[in-house]
Amino acid sequence: MPVSYYIILASALFCIGVAGVLTRRNAIIVFMCIELMLNAVNLLLVAFSKMQNIATPPGSVSVGGSDAQIFVFFIMVVAAAEVSVGLAIIVMMYRNVHSIDINFLNRLKN
Amino acid sequence: MNALILSAVWGIILMFCSILVKNKKAIGYIAAFGLLTILIGNIAETYGTQITHYNIYPMLLLDRFGLFFNTIAILSVFIFVLLSLIEIRKTGKYEPEFYTLIFFVICGITILTSYQNLLMLFLGIEILSIPLYILTGSDKKNLKSNEASLKYFLMGAFSTGIMLLGIALIYGGTGTFNLQPGTHSVVGTYHGISFLEITGLIILMCAMAFKASVAPFHFWAPDVYDGAPTPVTSFMATIVKVTAFLAFFKLCEVRVTDTLTAVNWKMIFAVMIVATLFIGNITAIFQQSVKRMLAYSSIAQAGFMMYAIFSLNDVAKEGLLYYAMAYSLATIGLFATMSKIKDYSFEGYNGLAKKQPTLAATNAIFLLSLSGIPLTAGFFAKYYMLASVIKTGSYTWLVIVGVCFATISIYYYFRLIQAMYFKTGNPDTIDHEITPFFKNMLIVVAVFIVLLGAFPQLLLNWFYF
Amino acid sequence: MNALVLCIPLLPFLGFLLVGLLRNKLSRPLIGIIASGVIGIAFILTLVIFFTHYYPANAITYFDFIKNSKYDISFSFQVDQLSTLFMLIITGVGFLIHVYSTSYMHDETPAHYARYFSYLNLFVFSMLLLVLGANYVIMFLGWEGVGICSYLLIGYWFKNNQYNYAARKAFVMNRIGDVGFLLAIFWLLARLGSVDYSIVFSNASALSTTDVTGITILLFVGAIGKSAQIPLYTWLPDAMAGPTPVSALIHAATMVTAGIYMIARSNVLYSLSPVSMDIVAVIGVATALLAASIALFQNDIKKVLAYSTVSQLGFMFVALGVGAYTTGVFHVMTHAFFKALLFLGAGSVIHAMGGEQDITKMGGLRKKIPITYWTFLIAVLAISGFPFTSGFISKDEILLAAYSHSKPLFWLTAFAAVLTAFYMFRVFMLVFLGGFRGNDEQQHHLHESPPAMTIPLIILAILAAIGGFVQLPELFGGHDYFNQFLAPVVPALSHEGENLATKEYALLGGTIVGLIIIFLFCKKWFAVNQFEGKYTGFKNVLAHKWYMDELYDAIIVNPFNNIAGFLKSIVEKSGIDGIVNGVGRFIQYSSRQVRLIQSGLVGNYILIMVLSITVLFMVFWNQDLIIAFLQKIF
Repeated sequence: MPVSYYIILASALFCIGVAGVLTRRNAIIVFMCIELMLNAVNLLLVAFSKMQNIATPPGSVSVGGSDAQIFVFFIMVVAAAEVSVGLAIIVMMYRNVHSIDINFLNRLKN
Repeated sequence: MNALILSAVWGIILMFCSILVKNKKAIGYIAAFGLLTILIGNIAETYGTQITHYNIYPMLLLDRFGLFFNTIAILSVFIFVLLSLIEIRKTGKYEPEFYTLIFFVICGITILTSYQNLLMLFLGIEILSIPLYILTGSDKKNLKSNEASLKYFLMGAFSTGIMLLGIALIYGGTGTFNLQPGTHSVVGTYHGISFLEITGLIILMCAMAFKASVAPFHFWAPDVYDGAPTPVTSFMATIVKVTAFLAFFKLCEVRVTDTLTAVNWKMIFAVMIVATLFIGNITAIFQQSVKRMLAYSSIAQAGFMMYAIFSLNDVAKEGLLYYAMAYSLATIGLFATMSKIKDYSFEGYNGLAKKQPTLAATNAIFLLSLSGIPLTAGFFAKYYMLASVIKTGSYTWLVIVGVCFATISIYYYFRLIQAMYFKTGNPDTIDHEITPFFKNMLIVVAVFIVLLGAFPQLLLNWFYF
Repeated sequence: MNALVLCIPLLPFLGFLLVGLLRNKLSRPLIGIIASGVIGIAFILTLVIFFTHYYPANAITYFDFIKNSKYDISFSFQVDQLSTLFMLIITGVGFLIHVYSTSYMHDETPAHYARYFSYLNLFVFSMLLLVLGANYVIMFLGWEGVGICSYLLIGYWFKNNQYNYAARKAFVMNRIGDVGFLLAIFWLLARLGSVDYSIVFSNASALSTTDVTGITILLFVGAIGKSAQIPLYTWLPDAMAGPTPVSALIHAATMVTAGIYMIARSNVLYSLSPVSMDIVAVIGVATALLAASIALFQNDIKKVLAYSTVSQLGFMFVALGVGAYTTGVFHVMTHAFFKALLFLGAGSVIHAMGGEQDITKMGGLRKKIPITYWTFLIAVLAISGFPFTSGFISKDEILLAAYSHSKPLFWLTAFAAVLTAFYMFRVFMLVFLGGFRGNDEQQHHLHESPPAMTIPLIILAILAAIGGFVQLPELFGGHDYFNQFLAPVVPALSHEGENLATKEYALLGGTIVGLIIIFLFCKKWFAVNQFEGKYTGFKNVLAHKWYMDELYDAIIVNPFNNIAGFLKSIVEKSGIDGIVNGVGRFIQYSSRQVRLIQSGLVGNYILIMVLSITVLFMVFWNQDLIIAFLQKIF
């Protein structure tokens, strides 16, 4: 399958994520949409990794494209860290105002 | 490597301090001592002494520029911690964790000043950001702090997504994560550069602009700076921001020249500079809260730092270091004073010169420096920035724009001086916290700013020693 | 020896600092001793130079003043015959006037007394700098220094607004001249790359005629301002607002002769440009005539002397203009003697009259103040050119030089000399002869001045009487000492092939006959008991100074004021202020609007970010189009 298919799929996923961030007001759902964006990137990276692997001439010392796959693991780890911090923040807010609407707290403006 | 290892170690040590150290007052001093060791370790490395000798290339490269910036940043953190000791103690039982997070942020800083690989850029930015999400929300019962934290987190995570998309696309275009691009692919190109790479770069630059709070990606900054506890704001608006700029600069230094055939970066940056200066300065004028005014002023200063990224030459490099120092010190001093005053509005400062002459005088010097009045460090900082643009030989109108906005900025900086010196009032200061040590620290910082302004070569000679 | 030379200007400067800074601490006698003492020592040091003939060929360089890749202007002094002569005049006459002032100013409070002497010392310092400088820039430093001192001293009694205006007028007029001088310096720098006298004069022949003429005319513009020639002379009569010793020192003996010094110093340049020489001579004779005619019917004793100074300066320029540089300088010297004497004598008269300056209110003072009377008489004779006084010898030479240059010039100059004798005798008769016309109180107050004032008068009187013998014509047994003295620096006009004896006898005879006639007429008209001082017709025009001040007001000052008023009330108030305030208001307004973008909603923020990324992409794909569009606009 040509790599462009993967690119299109990943872009579509990413755009869905962005659209979700823009339209939803529930903090958890917004956050999940951001995770969707990250996963779209993961997919893209894996696709490029395969593409690089094919492009590497056979018999060369390094395995082409492996760094992108390692990158994916890093993204997952960092995303996990972000989730832990993010959910804590959302919980903290819920304790104070009993709402997780991102527009509920709107004192800081202008 | 010294600073990176030491800061990680000290972060863990302070985490254990919350259990092991019973004397709460000692924690601040332990952290300050830790910072001192990191500072010494970094300076030692500048002169060639290292703790370890791992081969970290092509992930990190510790060059003179990065190490020197580390020194500036760690020194600023040191001064920041000394000025905010009491303020941080007020966070209650979480004080050691506060310092832990600051040490982790320093880890991120050291990575960002030396990265040679986009993976390290990503990790550095995340290590820098995630502790800050927590710090911003550290005042748990304060709704403003909650709001700031949530906003910062959501937008930060979103920008992380954007940044990763950019990195992935660059990888697709060049086949490597290295900062130095590999071979450019020959199919699907625009003026010799892969489409994927160009798209990725533009997206990555936008994400970096977000971190550096450059318009039109600055929106998080005023709200977060306003809502976060004052010491955190001070930390974020100064050291973290200039680090983001340094990372931005390092990225552009390599990639902009590399893709010059396809993208007219100068135009894009010029638009960003004008937008940042405009929004930062113009909006700052109308603010009633000094804290929010300083938040906008930090955006305006970011506009000036963008000049370095615009011109990308040696003057810009020196200027960025100089600007980092001048801007950080002055802003840290201002925020430190602000945390001693209960009312953050301009009226709250009325008559400060009568009640606390030392605070008012040092703050006046900080404000003069920020507005770029000669004989203060801020003047030469701005001078270097504008000179770097002139040196590139084109877009000289940007210099005129910069000067105009610097003039406008005088309005809101001097408004604070006016409130302190020429209006009568009884400012509500927390007197028992204004210790002689605090005052002396402020005086030291002010003297340092004036010294830098009088002898700008002091700093740069050291850079080139 | 070089350090000694440096001491000469430095001593008055030290005096200035000492007296000026400690003005509230020192007592009056101490101030007088310090201020006069430093000048006295400077005079002695100058005498040492004069008698040891210490005239180094090269300039004495002390340090680099302005140094860059193109120019090297050093702080250096040129000690030669010309500068030594001027130094002698400045320190010598200056010393006498300092001594005179200690008594003349005794009514001032100690602080003001000290202020007066500090200014006076600063003036001497600047003047010495002016004549000692080995390049035009140092000369300009002194030039400006004397200007500011003149300003300060004219406005010394700063509580009188009229005096302040006079000071301002002097300053502005001088500045106009300074512009010319500065331009000349720049021109020299541009053409020769140096302003050192030695370099300029040795390379002068390399300059084109246009350059030389331009430079010399611009230098002369400077001289016009400083030496009060047409059209910039009106400040000098007004400068009489200052204390009388100041008028004697600055506005008669020294500062106003700076222009003469400059041209004499630059004689190499002037000799290359006949056009400039003619201009100098014409302006000189015109000024001599105009000022003399005005002096005829002035009633203020100091005003008469002021116009007389302007007129005498005109004589000097005539001498310079016809190439008789040494004669011009010689007249500077004799003029310094008799004019300083006249002013100090006038000061003594004013002192005796209790501040009265109007000669119509005086008369018959001969018996009351005899020393003043006799010294004044000598001065009047000298300035009128009575045979064998200093004035006779110097003016004689000027007339001879003018005669050999052109006949009309001679006749005009001679006529001015006749007028000089006339107005001087008039003043003399009105003040000292006839009956007393003042009120009783003044008559009661009349007394001879103290020795501190009369001794300088006597010394100056001796100099005015016999000081000219150094340049006595050969016909009467003289040896041209003066010309020979200056010969290394300033060439004298050669009279070879002319029948000098006849002309000199003719002049001598003419002078004696003329003076007797003038004396008789004056005695008949002015040695009277009642004198109204009211004039009609042409006399009235002269008494009103040809309405020159009014003319200047009408064609320069008033239009200028009107333009300034227009700029102030219309352009400044509604134009500039409007723009400035408008910009401020616009920024405040936009501030209020722009901050609304910051809505506080995360969704909006992210939307704007996404939109800006999209816009960036659109800009990127169409960048060629946009750049082409922008280039068309700019």
